[in-house]
Amino acid sequence: MKKNRYEVAIVIPLYNEEQVIAKVLVELKNSYPEFIIVVVDDCSSDNSYNNACVENIYLLKHIANLGQGAALQTGIEFAEEIGCKYVVTFDSDGQHNPNDIEFFIKELRKEKYDIILGSRFLGEAENMPISKRYLLKLSRLFTWMTTGIWLTDSHNGFRAINIEKFPNFEIKQNRMSHASEIISIIKTLNMRYKELPCNIRYNSYTLKKGQSMWNSINIVLDYLIGNMMK
Amino acid sequence: MIVLKLFLILVLTVGFFTFAFSSKLKIVQKLSIVIGYFILFLFIVYPQYSDKVAQLFGIGAGKDLVLYITVSLTSLMNIVLYVEVKNSNKAVTRIIRDGAKKSAKLCE
Repeated sequence: MKKNRYEVAIVIPLYNEEQVIAKVLVELKNSYPEFIIVVVDDCSSDNSYNNACVENIYLLKHIANLGQGAALQTGIEFAEEIGCKYVVTFDSDGQHNPNDIEFFIKELRKEKYDIILGSRFLGEAENMPISKRYLLKLSRLFTWMTTGIWLTDSHNGFRAINIEKFPNFEIKQNRMSHASEIISIIKTLNMRYKELPCNIRYNSYTLKKGQSMWNSINIVLDYLIGNMMK
Repeated sequence: MIVLKLFLILVLTVGFFTFAFSSKLKIVQKLSIVIGYFILFLFIVYPQYSDKVAQLFGIGAGKDLVLYITVSLTSLMNIVLYVEVKNSNKAVTRIIRDGAKKSAKLCE
């Protein structure tokens, strides 16, 4: 593929978000017309793929469902191939606020940090259920125990990464445990990281689509077994 | 009892023919399967022999020895299968990813 010179790619893993995806993409496109948006549909069973076909957006499709981690890695590789320097990972359910992206990119451009991680505990998290709040606090303890990195929010899908400097940044965990794996990659590649506030908009839709408590246990097991079998 | 023994021999024989003639296995692995098959066959037909073998390893009864071996082999098999599945997943992921990148479209 011909190498272009785009500075920023916003990578969005997509799975069954037909109700909101078009709105999320139009909002992003209007806010950042200079950025490339890469949507990776992870074999949605609804009409998400067609709804995501918004003008000037790169649309990729997995022919089988692999998981969010795999979709992110596909998007990151594609962004590298078209010559992007920075990648912003952004959720497709509309819970992230596009206005936060500029602060993340501004911080990366200073070249003092290699990865910027979003934290809902530094920003605003409207209507966050108390159970989720405690679960996320527990997960940062787990992340600290497994990687030695203490974060205020270790499972936030909002990140900005300097992929030009780290072409070997590779997510191997296909499913949801990729969030913990990314922290482990930061440690392995010795990346300079910083947390910035990000605002999460919880509503009945995003809460319905979010991870359940039971699934969190699966994610932990997935991560531990995946790490053991590396 | 004889029905159970015949069933065990049948399962063992099916396993033997499935693995012993697999082209993927090395000669040492095939030999281990042949030896294992005959030892287990002997234990099923003449269970009293397993007691004698168990005593050689300091285990009281032959049935305990069989249980230990079964648990160890099953665990080993689980690990081997997990690694196989993981490797297959890796290959499938790579194929799907390359396909997705090749068929990327810029929406108009």
